[in-house]
Amino acid sequence: MSLHRLAFRLRPTVTRVRSLHSSGFVQQQEAVAVEPEPESLSVFRTQEKDPACHSDKHVGQFYTLSSAHVRPLFPDSLPWRYQQQMKTFNETCIMVRQPALEVISYLKKADYSQPALRYVFYGLKGTGKTMSLCHTLHFCYTQGWLVLHVPDAHLWVKNCKELLPSSYKSSRFDQPLQATTWLRNFKITNEPFLSKIKLKERYVWTKRESTEAGSSLGELVDQGISRIKSSSDVVGAVMKELRLQSDQPGADFRLAVAVDGVNALWGRSTIKKGDKTAVDPEELTLVYNLRKLMKNDWSGGAVITTLSQTGSLYHPKSAYLPQDLLGERGFDNMDPFIPVSVPNYSEKEFESCYLYYMDRNWLQHPQSRTEEGKKELIFLCNMNPSMFERLCGHL
Amino acid sequence: MAASISGLLKPWTPRVLLVRWSRYNPYYLEPEVRKEAYSRPESELSAEEKEERELKKLRPIKAATNSTTSSLFNDPVVSKFINMMMKHGEKTLAREIMMQTLENIKRKQVEKYHKATDGQKEGIECNPYAVFHQALENCKPVVALASIQKGGKYYQVPIPVTGNRQRFLAMKWMITECRDNKHRRTHMYEKLSQELLAAFANEGNVIRKKHELHKMAEANRAYAHYRWW
Repeated sequence: MSLHRLAFRLRPTVTRVRSLHSSGFVQQQEAVAVEPEPESLSVFRTQEKDPACHSDKHVGQFYTLSSAHVRPLFPDSLPWRYQQQMKTFNETCIMVRQPALEVISYLKKADYSQPALRYVFYGLKGTGKTMSLCHTLHFCYTQGWLVLHVPDAHLWVKNCKELLPSSYKSSRFDQPLQATTWLRNFKITNEPFLSKIKLKERYVWTKRESTEAGSSLGELVDQGISRIKSSSDVVGAVMKELRLQSDQPGADFRLAVAVDGVNALWGRSTIKKGDKTAVDPEELTLVYNLRKLMKNDWSGGAVITTLSQTGSLYHPKSAYLPQDLLGERGFDNMDPFIPVSVPNYSEKEFESCYLYYMDRNWLQHPQSRTEEGKKELIFLCNMNPSMFERLCGHL
Repeated sequence: MAASISGLLKPWTPRVLLVRWSRYNPYYLEPEVRKEAYSRPESELSAEEKEERELKKLRPIKAATNSTTSSLFNDPVVSKFINMMMKHGEKTLAREIMMQTLENIKRKQVEKYHKATDGQKEGIECNPYAVFHQALENCKPVVALASIQKGGKYYQVPIPVTGNRQRFLAMKWMITECRDNKHRRTHMYEKLSQELLAAFANEGNVIRKKHELHKMAEANRAYAHYRWW
């Protein structure tokens, strides 16, 4: 089957060889010899690096992200196992799959003077929701959008080491550590926009410190990073400014809000107050401000989210549908949204992934390279991407 | 010895069937787990193999343990190592550690492979199972010392080591070395992968222990004739 695809791909090279015919017999031979070599890799790889040009014919193929894009876009926000894979293989490759392509096509055709559309990736555990989100984010980044990425909203509602009462509203709580990490990552991702966007309002932090209207976004972010106590409020201010400015007719940027594990915003939290009572996520400044961004009352951008049971609190393992994970409050807040289901690998995608691991020397066990070994792998992982990756880890 | 006993015993199954115990009547035969052994047609078998097949139809077979599988990736040496690493019967934990060790070895070697120049690439062994087997082979001692009493005194006599004992000693040394002599805060899979890669290259503490044992045996060569078997 792969030979048939090879023959199909060699057809354009044959026409090129004919045009070289006049320049000499030797050069024609060289052209025929050189062209098939890179083509033989592209059964599971595609040379198309721009997500905007990905289409249905690239489904199942891996495309490489250039390192110039990877470091600013994903400063420590990719899944841990994927980061290890990036380090081992010395390259960053994502598979082009149908759910991400669908959302990218909607983003291309959407009308940005209308209220923001909300896309939700949902599916069973380990089917590739986070990677689809990363693919869509890469598209937004290459189109020059401003990217507001929350790698995992669950980290904001659990394991909080420092909880301060908020200076702005007495009933709310601040999380300085999480806010500063997020601000640092935001700064790395959106360097070019920091000096271009000017603030519209004046923010007062303490009696002596304030940020004037008209100063750049970069100054606000630096204020949050240097003064840790007010960092959660700075995050709220940044979100408010971007929301207000993205739908102005004069704005030259579009806002992409990406949240992984959006069900954390409307769930329960395990953080306890001083008197051992649980904190409602609404009482956390970060969560409160992020919820405002999730509403569709602003325009000039899109909201792309993922549901996740893996880090979620007080949800059974079998829950994966939006109704189960978001709960009533979450569903009412997010309604109407565009649900995008992320399924397990199809036959073609599995084949592609298998060939990719073979190419990168990852499948080392001699039996895993045989036909029966492949059948056994399919049986053991049931076409689930993360299970397949974990299985191949030790084989 | 087993043949004479089995000659005396008649075909017999106990009233209570032994499923998990490891002490069986010698009449029982080992189970054949591999799929390939059953897919061979009649013509390919030699005379002995045909006889064995006939015997298996008549004799009772031992129950296979829970950890033996007919999977293509089943490796008896790896299973034995997992059993030796296991504490308090926690097989899942021991197995998890072993899988993480193999993955760790593979990651380090594949990373080295991708960063190496073309000339160095052939020398790097990326298969974690090959590394594991070779490392254990390198750790196996050829001679060991036994305490033999002669004329009221005990002498350390060098004796040859059987295959099973060699494998046992290599695995035991590897595990105790990783448990005792490494930094407290590193994970077991990290310690194991470092020690296995060192043993693969014939370096490290386990190889040193093997060499010291060989030196002691060489030093006590004079007493070798005290061995009577």
